[in-house]
Amino acid sequence: MGNWVVNHWFSALFLAVWLGLNVFLFVDAFLKYEKADKYFYTREILGFCSRTLRKQLDHNLTFHKLVAYMICLHTAIHIIAHLFNFHRYSRSRQATDGSLASILSSLSHHEKEEGPWLNPIQSPDMTVEYVTFTSIAGLTGVIMTIALILMVTSATKFIRRSYFEVFWYTHHLFIFYILGLGIHGIGGIVRGQTEESMNENHPHKCAESFQKWDDHDSHCRRPRFEGHPPESWKWILAPVILYIFERILRFYRSQQKVVITKVVMHPSKVLELQMKKRGFSMEVGQYIFVNCPSISLLEWHPFTLTSAPEEDFFSIHIRAAGDWTENLIRAFEQQDSSIPRVEVDGPFGTVSEDVFQYEVAMLVGAGIGVTPFASILKSIWYKFQRADHDLKTQKIYFYWICRETGAFSWFNDLLTSLEQEMEELGKVGFLNYRLFLTGWDSNIAGHAALNFDKATDIVTGLKQKTSFGRPMWDNEFSTIATSHPKSVVGVFLCGPRTLAKSLRKCCHRYSSLDPRKVQFYFNKENF
Amino acid sequence: MGQIEWAMWANEQALASGLILITGGIVATAGRFTQWYFGAYSIAAGVFVCLLEYPRGKRAKGSTMERCGQRYMTAVVKLFGPLTRNYYVRALLHLALSVPAGFLLATILGTACLAIASGIYLLVSGVFC
Repeated sequence: MGNWVVNHWFSALFLAVWLGLNVFLFVDAFLKYEKADKYFYTREILGFCSRTLRKQLDHNLTFHKLVAYMICLHTAIHIIAHLFNFHRYSRSRQATDGSLASILSSLSHHEKEEGPWLNPIQSPDMTVEYVTFTSIAGLTGVIMTIALILMVTSATKFIRRSYFEVFWYTHHLFIFYILGLGIHGIGGIVRGQTEESMNENHPHKCAESFQKWDDHDSHCRRPRFEGHPPESWKWILAPVILYIFERILRFYRSQQKVVITKVVMHPSKVLELQMKKRGFSMEVGQYIFVNCPSISLLEWHPFTLTSAPEEDFFSIHIRAAGDWTENLIRAFEQQDSSIPRVEVDGPFGTVSEDVFQYEVAMLVGAGIGVTPFASILKSIWYKFQRADHDLKTQKIYFYWICRETGAFSWFNDLLTSLEQEMEELGKVGFLNYRLFLTGWDSNIAGHAALNFDKATDIVTGLKQKTSFGRPMWDNEFSTIATSHPKSVVGVFLCGPRTLAKSLRKCCHRYSSLDPRKVQFYFNKENF
Repeated sequence: MGQIEWAMWANEQALASGLILITGGIVATAGRFTQWYFGAYSIAAGVFVCLLEYPRGKRAKGSTMERCGQRYMTAVVKLFGPLTRNYYVRALLHLALSVPAGFLLATILGTACLAIASGIYLLVSGVFC
């Protein structure tokens, strides 16, 4: 618990403030409509109104989803509330019992001065459906809600993972949503009494004598109403400006020329592209979006950067995993035609600089999650060579877990070269890595057993022997805790959530209660 | 783009429409709006659509994540054979189901959403191409 607070206090505080603000604003608006005199007559017909409140700030995907859920919830509340409102407006319009509500409803749609009416339903024959589809608020509301629903159904995890284009292109319906939201309140359907009218007909004094409003000698004149000015633009103006600015910036960046300096075809259909771009600077663990106009004009695909910031180029490793990647690899394989042009946007992603701050670092990469570690390991190596003082790391334990190494044989080569360089520098103990093959069978195991005595591993060719199956984290953590009894160990993971849970548990279990002794900190940065 | 199985999205859309129909129906019935019996219909139609669409169909390519506990409903849905297997029939069924809910404002959103799902199923059914 203590560790959680230390790691997450900022996010928790931010969320608490945001939620608190939402609650406060909702209650504030609610009380205003519920209690203020201006809305006394409005309440007479309606009972009460509720408003949709939403706030837009996009820091990362989790927050985006949270905001989306809130929007959906508030939209549902908003629609249901307005359904009741319209029902009551309709009923009041049709009522012939001479009640206050029916008198208020029949107020002047025919007086031409700015329409001091209260009930948007102008005649007893008008249906709520008619008003919905002929008023700005109703029409924009319907369009917005349908856009929202389409966005949500195409954004479920299953659709996102399986058919990304469906999600991506449908999500652009947000343009209609934002536009609709901006003009939703222009019609001024929610009405309150005008200041002037309050002087002639204050509800506290005149509401009860409503039958006498038309009499010449009464002190109370007919009340007059005006529409509430639209407010939604106040919420969306700043974020929309920020968003437009960001899109322009990204477009400008993507137009900058990218020079491909080296193309390497690795075995198992992995393409390495080394590139240069003016003004490009990266940090470890970041990713870029790549577009290849000759393959697809509109598709931008993310790739983790596999080069270190210390190098004078940046590189990505592309594995064939679908239409676009296969076409790209084929385009580069052709020796005769010229190299296709690529556009690059980025880099994005939270920087994982924290890796360099720990004396001892435990890096765990599972499957494709090993790619950011290429960048990290290379960078650590450069810093170590140059005796960079920012690098506090003395020892690295690297765990690579995957089903089969075929697709990552290029990473293998990286580890081999790191192994060699460390030997040359006489620093064999610096990098400690273990490879875990989870997709093994008896053949592989048998082979390994036969070649037990060999110096290099038969699967990978590395000096470090491959282990089969998953790591036993308890053993690993206790070994590290014993070897470094007084250090702070940073644990970094790029892999599945279940693994994150196990690692976090181990961190809590093996961190000593004494703050001077070994402490494990689990870093939940998303690579 | 030709590899996209649109029916998967139609399934999500139809499931959402079912829920929206149920919600709109409850609001209309509970509030006793005019012609609230359309609301009662909407609840029934919504429940039916949800039950029908809950089991996620198997993808032609790649692994399919089943929805939690869907095998019980799958057994029932399979009983109807071609009626539930065929996307064209499903498209027509959804279209027909959505019409009565269109008479009430509270449920008209459900109509629109279910009609969209029906449209996507129609495109996938192979009737047009």
